[in-house]
Amino acid sequence: MADNVKKDKTFVDDIDREMYDFRFEEKDVYRVDEGLTPEIVNKISEEKNDPEWMHQFRLKSLEIYNKKEIPNWGPSIDGLNMDNIVTYVRPNTKMHAEWDEVPDDIKETFERLGIPKAERESLAGVGAQYDSELVYHNVKEEVAAQGVIYTDLESAMHGEYADMIQKHFMKLVPPTDHKFAALHGAVWSGGSFVYVPPGVSVEIPLQSYFRLNAPGAGQFEHTLIIVDEGAYLHFIEGCSAPKYNIANLHAGCVELFVGRNATLRYSTIENWSKNMYNLNTKRAICEEGGKVEWVSGSFGSHVSYLYPMSVLNGKGARAEFTGVTFAGRGQNLDTGCKIVHNAPDTSSVVNTRSISKSGGISTFRSSVVVNPQAENTKSSVSCQSLMIDSESRSDTVPAMDIRTDKCDIGHEAKIGRISDDAVFYLMSRGISEEEARALIVSGFAENVSKELPLEYAVEMNNLIRLEMRGTIG
Amino acid sequence: MSRNLIINKLPAYTYNWLHMNEAQLPGVSVIEEALVAAEVPAGIQQGFMKADFAAQSGVKILTGAGEDMDALLADADITVQTFTVPAGVHVKNDAVRLRLSYTDQGFVYDSKNADAAGENGQAGKMNAFRYVLEPDSEMTVVMDFTADPAASGLAAVQTKICAQKNSVLHLVQIQQLGENFTLLNDIGGFCEEGARIELIRLILTGKNTYDGCRVELAGEKSSLGVDIGYLCKGDDHLDMNYDAYHTGRRTTSEMNISGVLRDRAFKLFRGTIDFQNGCSGAVGDELEDVMLMDSTVVNQTIPLILCAEEDVVGNHGATIGRLDDQLLFYMESRGMNREDIYEMMAKARIDAVIRKIPDEKTRQRMMPEAAEEA
Repeated sequence: MADNVKKDKTFVDDIDREMYDFRFEEKDVYRVDEGLTPEIVNKISEEKNDPEWMHQFRLKSLEIYNKKEIPNWGPSIDGLNMDNIVTYVRPNTKMHAEWDEVPDDIKETFERLGIPKAERESLAGVGAQYDSELVYHNVKEEVAAQGVIYTDLESAMHGEYADMIQKHFMKLVPPTDHKFAALHGAVWSGGSFVYVPPGVSVEIPLQSYFRLNAPGAGQFEHTLIIVDEGAYLHFIEGCSAPKYNIANLHAGCVELFVGRNATLRYSTIENWSKNMYNLNTKRAICEEGGKVEWVSGSFGSHVSYLYPMSVLNGKGARAEFTGVTFAGRGQNLDTGCKIVHNAPDTSSVVNTRSISKSGGISTFRSSVVVNPQAENTKSSVSCQSLMIDSESRSDTVPAMDIRTDKCDIGHEAKIGRISDDAVFYLMSRGISEEEARALIVSGFAENVSKELPLEYAVEMNNLIRLEMRGTIG
Repeated sequence: MSRNLIINKLPAYTYNWLHMNEAQLPGVSVIEEALVAAEVPAGIQQGFMKADFAAQSGVKILTGAGEDMDALLADADITVQTFTVPAGVHVKNDAVRLRLSYTDQGFVYDSKNADAAGENGQAGKMNAFRYVLEPDSEMTVVMDFTADPAASGLAAVQTKICAQKNSVLHLVQIQQLGENFTLLNDIGGFCEEGARIELIRLILTGKNTYDGCRVELAGEKSSLGVDIGYLCKGDDHLDMNYDAYHTGRRTTSEMNISGVLRDRAFKLFRGTIDFQNGCSGAVGDELEDVMLMDSTVVNQTIPLILCAEEDVVGNHGATIGRLDDQLLFYMESRGMNREDIYEMMAKARIDAVIRKIPDEKTRQRMMPEAAEEA
């Protein structure tokens, strides 16, 4: 045992990501030219057979993109050159509802990621996106029979839900929000649309998985979920990519509409490759009595800007955010959340953990805004950070803006290291030092793993274990 | 000459839409010093200088408000007052007492409409102080910023501190300015091995207050203690930026901020514990308690912990809101009405800070009843 550990420490210099870091050569794919021009946006719109309003929306978004500045805060994105990014890559296949109909290499990709198996065992429906397009989408009959709509966004935009899409698309995250929301508006492709009718409870989760295979490409999927009055949904989002030596970009957008007394749980295990710029925008709006629960694990990407936002617009609406971020070598992960209390009797609970090792940088960034009308608001924010070594960096930047006296706001932040006493105790019980540290870090991140379905909690703990290998010695 | 100041910058910026990253003060102009009444105990050397403080202290001392305040000081071209405690001298039972009394300057500074402030010759006053504590010394400095309740105008004060090995500075700053007065109060400190700076800051009256404080804990086991108490009412605007910058091993910082907001008062507290690589064994704690008394107040808080060192412990806690319902119920059951309860709790917050003032004479002046109890 001791020899094995020693061998790992010596041999495993960087993280072994074999499970995610595999690739197949591109075959017969269609890709637009590198860069971002009106011609490219027109081409994408044409390829996707957009309705005219969407075509115009894309062009307007491009105008906004060209006017917006990059943020003057957060990690550097100097390594991202949009002139080198291909914004649309279409695999040579249509979307299928049977895995057997999906081309072998793409099917093999998702098999290795465990998606079909998870669908069989624990999911109510799956959408699988490969580069810019969905290649598989299916929902279980019994769930469809409840009236639940789970389909790709493009189909929905052309079918009977066209008006619903036009009414909601990028209304919660307008292209004017920031530069990369505008980029998304211009070149978005793929993603899912979910509608859960009033009173329907979807007992088992739906999942969308996004795989970016093409080097130098961007993925810009759009997820639009509407959970109607009194309904319940758990939606899981997963993502990964093989590592290349050139920058890839993910600028997706998630818009969640949570109806009166409805509940939506949105879980994400983000495991992009470490050449990825993950500039994603997620936002939920809750009506009276509605509740949104975010569960977020950020492990991958080179640079991340990720702050799911909850807008509590109805009386008694609630938001919970539970997150863990693990930044290793070469990673600068700026994550957190935003909460806006806009109505009376609203409440929010934020509970996060950050871990930094091997020169990784993790930043917890949040904002809690309590507007004057949000009387009797309660909010609690807790963020804890763990430093594994002194090469790394961990920052917490939590902001609170409170504009009513009738509220109860609490905040706590802690930063520290793994206790030597705890490691010594575990080692005295026969556990190796490396294993002891991995165990302590897994325990530290338990706030997230206990909120995930078992299969995903196991995956997350495996990721932590993988990341912790080679951290000592 | 007027300046467009950008002060109180967060060490790490965040979302611009929150408007917390910095304070922008256009059209600020200062021309001369305010009169200072000074009581200087025996053993402390008072001096005056125009030279760069860095030349005397040997270190470049950065401040909480930032470099724009240095530029403003250069514009003012005033004499800097210095107070030096020689090595081995401990002045424990007395204090340097500096009273800065401002008269009505005839204008109200408004950062939102201030372009004309300098052009119209609406210049304020500026004073600068340097405290040098030589090795193994100790002193207390009490600075009073006062004006008639109805006085208007603008004042800037910059204080730089060089605390050499094993020295201790107790710095008390008490603000009781006019209801239309603006104060820019800037502090920078540098602590060598074993040195300690204790700052007690009371902000009781004044329309606009911009408070910056940055202390570098460079020497091993050096430390910073900050206790702030504030009362903001009417349209008061309080903007603070405190930064404990840990570079030395086993350094400690502790910041306690407690205050009350009422009417339409606005308060922004930026508090940073900055652990630089190499400050192993450092500990930083920050605790904020804000009592909100009216539905029209605005409270902004942004407590940063920046960490580039593994072997540190940093904590921040904040509670913001009304009084606890159970406490209110208890007090009301004892016959107090709600307004009296809030008044009492507000006073208690300030009194708790006053009790920490080491200079008995000042403590007695600020809270006669406490002095009698003692």
